[in-house]
Amino acid sequence: MIPVFAATSPHISVKAEEVMNVAGVSITNSHMLGIMGLIVLVWLMLCTVAAVKGTKKHNFVTRLLVWAFEGLYNTVLQVIPDQKWAKRVAPLTITIFFFVIAQYYLGLLPFVGPVYTLPERIPLFRGGVADLNMTFSLAIITIVAAQVYAIKYLGLRGNLGRYLYNPLKDPIMTFVGILEMIAEMSRLLGLSFRLFGNVLAGEVLLIMIAYLTQFVSPLALQPFYLFELFIGGIQAYIFFMLSTVFISLGMEHHGGDDEKTHDDLHPKPAELIVASEG
Amino acid sequence: MNYVTYFASTETATVKPDLFTSIGVDWKFLILQTIAFLILLWFLKKYIYPPLIKMLDKRDEMIEESVKAAHDAEKNAAEAEARTTKIMKDARKQADEMLASAKSEASQIIDATDKKSRERAEQIVADAEAEIRRDIDLARKSLRAETISLVAEATEKVVRISVDSKVDKKVVESAIKEAEA
Repeated sequence: MIPVFAATSPHISVKAEEVMNVAGVSITNSHMLGIMGLIVLVWLMLCTVAAVKGTKKHNFVTRLLVWAFEGLYNTVLQVIPDQKWAKRVAPLTITIFFFVIAQYYLGLLPFVGPVYTLPERIPLFRGGVADLNMTFSLAIITIVAAQVYAIKYLGLRGNLGRYLYNPLKDPIMTFVGILEMIAEMSRLLGLSFRLFGNVLAGEVLLIMIAYLTQFVSPLALQPFYLFELFIGGIQAYIFFMLSTVFISLGMEHHGGDDEKTHDDLHPKPAELIVASEG
Repeated sequence: MNYVTYFASTETATVKPDLFTSIGVDWKFLILQTIAFLILLWFLKKYIYPPLIKMLDKRDEMIEESVKAAHDAEKNAAEAEARTTKIMKDARKQADEMLASAKSEASQIIDATDKKSRERAEQIVADAEAEIRRDIDLARKSLRAETISLVAEATEKVVRISVDSKVDKKVVESAIKEAEA
């Protein structure tokens, strides 16, 4: 009885596992689906551009992508006050959104999980963002981009001025500056673990429901699939929104000390979002 | 005590590679996947987003233009209406003026004509009266002259007869004959 259960028990792994090794470079199951996600995303984007240029007819997907792009683009323009900089930041955060949502949705496909390599029983596919490497790299890109944009916008000294204060002049702000530095690190971890945790939890949820309901699973999974589609959109939007806001934070401190105290009196929406997310 | 060491190990995990590798963070993959994402970002930024943004900008521009055009059209319509009303008002005023002046002119003309014709009629009547009077005078004059001559003649004749009693029957007859003639 026990070996049978062991054989059919769901395979749950926190990390992506190696499925093949090409010339010394190991390829994990999340890479397999990640590459598929990239191909699908680029193909859909090319279709959308062709439709927008008028060489192809619009269909449901291209309209949806144009609608999503327009909404995200306008959001970035609203969040970042300086329109010139908003237009520079928009491609990065919008790409994050489309990348995350494409990877998340591909991870819901039915062959993710049940198709596995034979001797070790390792799933051949795994959601691209169900790999901490991927979410971590996205978070690093966001935080590094936020710093780069802040340095470009405020200058190196101006950017350092966000964190370093003269302890003799303003001891409270010195402490706040240290907290800011810690906050940057926590944003890095928060961004990556939030997305990773959601994707992993979603996949585990689907696996468990499928395992528990067995032959009724085609019916039983429906509400959970809908839920996961919803969560995927939400997570992609959250990642997009937070990265936009983090970058915009580096473009807000522009005036002297008066403006900073004013900012501290009224917490920025970004900090409220972070607080509620945490 | 076990808990303490456990927490201690997680606290310092950022330094030790153990925790990160145990949850699947591999620095090689991290860098490779970052590069993959950056390539995707570059591709989308270069080939996908510009046409989309151009389309959005164009559409916004078009909407703005059409709103402006609608606004202009509305303004033009209002202006045209105002102008029409003004023109109609002016025209009505002018027509009223013209009508009033025509009326007064007509009444003047009628008055003048009336007066003139009355004068003319009076003149005609006066002329006619004068002529009649002249005719009567003339007739009276000629009658008087005739009567005088007749009386004179008759008187002469009577006188002659009375004067000359010896007027023969022949003379009387001739006188009568003359008179008859």
